[in-house]
Amino acid sequence: MMSPLSLLLISVLVFTCGAFLALLCYKSDRASIYLSGIFGVIGSVAGLAASLPVLLNDSVLKYTHAGLFPFTRFTIRFDPLAAFMVFVIALLVLVASIYSFSYVREYEGRGAWTMGFFTNLFVASMIILVAVDNAFYFLVFFELMSLSSYFLVIFDQNEEAVNAGFLYFLTAHAGSILILGTFFIFWWQTGSMDFEAFRATTLSAPLASLAFVLAFFGFGAKAGMVPLHSWLPRAHPAAPSHASALMSGVMVKIGVFGIIKVGVDLLHATTTWWGILVLAVGAISAVLGVLYALTEQDIKRLLAYSTVENVGIILMGVGVGMIGLSTQQPVLAVLGLLGALYHTLNHAVFKGLLFLGAGSIIYRTHTRNMEELGGLARTMPYTAMTFLIGAMAISALPPLNGFVSEWFTYQALFNMSLNGEFLLRFCGPVAVVMLALTGALAAMCFVKLYGITFSGNPRSEHAAHAKEAPVPMVIAMVVLAAFCVLLGLGAPLVAPVIAGIASSLAGGVAVNVAHGTLILPGNGEQAVLSLPLLTILLIALPFVPMIIGTLMKSGRLARRHEGDAWACGYIHEAKMVISSEGFAQPMRHMFSPLFKLREVLNPSRPLHAGMHASINGAARSEAVVDTYIITPIMRVAHWLGGWIQWLQHGDFRVYCLYVVAALVVLLLVTVA
Amino acid sequence: MPNFESIVFAIIQAAILLLIAPVFTGISRVMRAKMHSRKGPGILQDYRDLIKLMKRQDVASGASGMMFRIMPYELLGSVLLIAMVIPVFSLASPLGMAGDLITIAYLFAFSRFIFSVSGLESGSPFAGLGASRESTLGVLVEPTMILALLVAALICGSTNVGSISTAIAAGQAHSPMAIILAFFAFGFAVYIEMGKLPFDMAEAEQELQEGPLTEYSGQSLAIIKWGLALKKVVVASMLVGIFLPFGTTASMSSGALLIAAVLYLIKLLAVYLLAGLVENSMARGRFLLTSRVTWVGFGVASLSFVFYLAGL
Repeated sequence: MMSPLSLLLISVLVFTCGAFLALLCYKSDRASIYLSGIFGVIGSVAGLAASLPVLLNDSVLKYTHAGLFPFTRFTIRFDPLAAFMVFVIALLVLVASIYSFSYVREYEGRGAWTMGFFTNLFVASMIILVAVDNAFYFLVFFELMSLSSYFLVIFDQNEEAVNAGFLYFLTAHAGSILILGTFFIFWWQTGSMDFEAFRATTLSAPLASLAFVLAFFGFGAKAGMVPLHSWLPRAHPAAPSHASALMSGVMVKIGVFGIIKVGVDLLHATTTWWGILVLAVGAISAVLGVLYALTEQDIKRLLAYSTVENVGIILMGVGVGMIGLSTQQPVLAVLGLLGALYHTLNHAVFKGLLFLGAGSIIYRTHTRNMEELGGLARTMPYTAMTFLIGAMAISALPPLNGFVSEWFTYQALFNMSLNGEFLLRFCGPVAVVMLALTGALAAMCFVKLYGITFSGNPRSEHAAHAKEAPVPMVIAMVVLAAFCVLLGLGAPLVAPVIAGIASSLAGGVAVNVAHGTLILPGNGEQAVLSLPLLTILLIALPFVPMIIGTLMKSGRLARRHEGDAWACGYIHEAKMVISSEGFAQPMRHMFSPLFKLREVLNPSRPLHAGMHASINGAARSEAVVDTYIITPIMRVAHWLGGWIQWLQHGDFRVYCLYVVAALVVLLLVTVA
Repeated sequence: MPNFESIVFAIIQAAILLLIAPVFTGISRVMRAKMHSRKGPGILQDYRDLIKLMKRQDVASGASGMMFRIMPYELLGSVLLIAMVIPVFSLASPLGMAGDLITIAYLFAFSRFIFSVSGLESGSPFAGLGASRESTLGVLVEPTMILALLVAALICGSTNVGSISTAIAAGQAHSPMAIILAFFAFGFAVYIEMGKLPFDMAEAEQELQEGPLTEYSGQSLAIIKWGLALKKVVVASMLVGIFLPFGTTASMSSGALLIAAVLYLIKLLAVYLLAGLVENSMARGRFLLTSRVTWVGFGVASLSFVFYLAGL
């Protein structure tokens, strides 16, 4: 049995090898697709094997190697949080790699080898990033992750992708600069770049707050929280679907991880208003994210906006956890972090599933526009079935996984509202209402996504003649759909493990979150829930009407489902049925102020204005430089040229005279 | 796992609610007819409708697929599950571990989700519109419902609906004003969930909430109608069970349960009569303006939250 640390190293090395082998096979796209896929599978299996023992034993493993310079001391700290992140990354990468065997064939002949290179490099940098314990390497790998994903975003090289990539590039680097600021404050105070030193030091209150706020917005830009979210609905859809699944499912979680790392692990969440800030930003992100998702017609953009929503829900949990830490309520802290981490895992699973499903649709119909789809449930039954499970899970419908993590978040908020000071008792229920509103909007959003795409009549030729996705893609989706069910049903087994990670972050206080088949938020008085019982009843109870129907069957004719739907006597047309835009129209009407806010928050206009200003400025300064520097130089050159021309006007005898004169001068110089 | 008795009790409770549901929709119809000065159908008309529909052939458009077929059963099943969880005759929830108030709210979302998807599935122009409106109503009613229940839960310190009704019955709930306001706010949400004017016109089939039913017929339609009738009874029972638990029993003796059952039926009838009275004196409104009405309900819920914070 190898130690988790060596397995982690193997995993990273395998991903790196996969990346460079894909690069070497630039002559054959197909070979590089298979190579990078196989290395992806092996690497993620190694990653899973590395993370599981650490997760189950709650251990912390360390490795240190002195680098060339004091600030490059290479330190690995494989604690439960890092192992959890590695688990989430590896799980989704495993599935995405299987999916890529077929999906990337779409890109054959268009440089699929670079895709293999950047995808594997992207994954390797994320895995090593969560485990390093030194600010220098953290920043290096963070940058590597941003850059490799940037190249995935601009892969299509069309105008949309390049613009999206530009916005992503700017946002990511603005975030990096803020994070740099945080680490600078730490370095200034401790004189070291090691997280170990950061952890041990106690910053003065204003300095700590400044460090936290910088890190919160820096990592928040990566996580895609409102108001730093605008890059996300552009960049994620532009990337190839399995890469979008990784970006939405995993990369935004690196942002959340960073917030937990700095806020909880390094700064120990000492101040209450930090938690309230995280909670408030989370709640606003959740509501706005899903509201904007609801009015999208592009499948992948809709899913990307929904990522903003889910990051908001995760941040709500993180906020509650930080509030619990700062007010010395360990149960509250563990509950909040449990909800956040559980939702992190769940969101990776169902958002990965939905992006892969969207990829299958694009693979077969070559459109992302829902208005051109419809009726795919008949032609792509497996994709439809798994997509439906994902849609129900993300809408937090019981008994699937999304419901369980939101249930814990609700219970954490409820616990926070029960006791404590006035401000917290006020914030808790407000957050609960926003979470409830988010839930209802998410259900509407995913009814629309599933209903318009997979149900009814096809709205275009592509949709009518679609075929089921190839086997590897179906396998990938089925695996994730199974995880949606298992993480929901198996909550009594999963919740204690994640609560263990949460309590290791919150100072090691054990909180009872499961008892037999029940899950409970610390104490059974507040609530208990048995998901297996709920599931059994949800499966068994529909049989009651079915049996009644069968008993009253005598003389009834067989079912007849054929022909068109009733359209007031006119011939039915696909155009008569409500469109994706029409479905969401009541919301657009009722929440119109919030939609106006989107235009205000959109940074691309000021960014473009800034671009224009700098281009204009450059154009103008170019003229200035021309007039005052270049032109005089040119004039002097001309003038000199004129003289040289005069010297050299082509008479052979004059040239002879020059030679004689030069000889005389040289003679004089040597004699003297 | 729960003990055998509580499971049996929960099943009996759900069965009773399922059996009486058509009576109450019948009462609504009779009342509306009387207020319209019509003769109207009898109270038992809905049973006759159900039996008639059960015998009819199931006809639907060719576009309708798997979700369309299983929706009626899942709808009735999920509402039956809620009927097993809420406190109706006893103060404690018969099967509390299968659902606290958060789970109940999401089970309603579950039934709404599949109801709306099946509307889109049929490919009917009316059903699609109905699905959109059904989901919209869900968005509008959810915050009010959760906030009202949350205030009650906070006052009683538990999200278990049985614990809430026990605490309210015992008079342990401090902040009585908050509870009363939460009761009104929840009543408002219940009124919307019951599918009444100005939010819905249940007898006109192409309207808001019944829109997704356009393409249903025969047995499927019967099951859905029954499921919707049960849903109305369940939300009304939540109102009386959680906020008006007076007369419901803590003991499981048959005499006490019988009294509780009679009192429950009287309270439920009062809710239905009141809802009918309000409904029939309402004008229809434009759907897009519904949010202006629902703000009132949310306002009441917020007020109850403020009273809770003030400790009144």
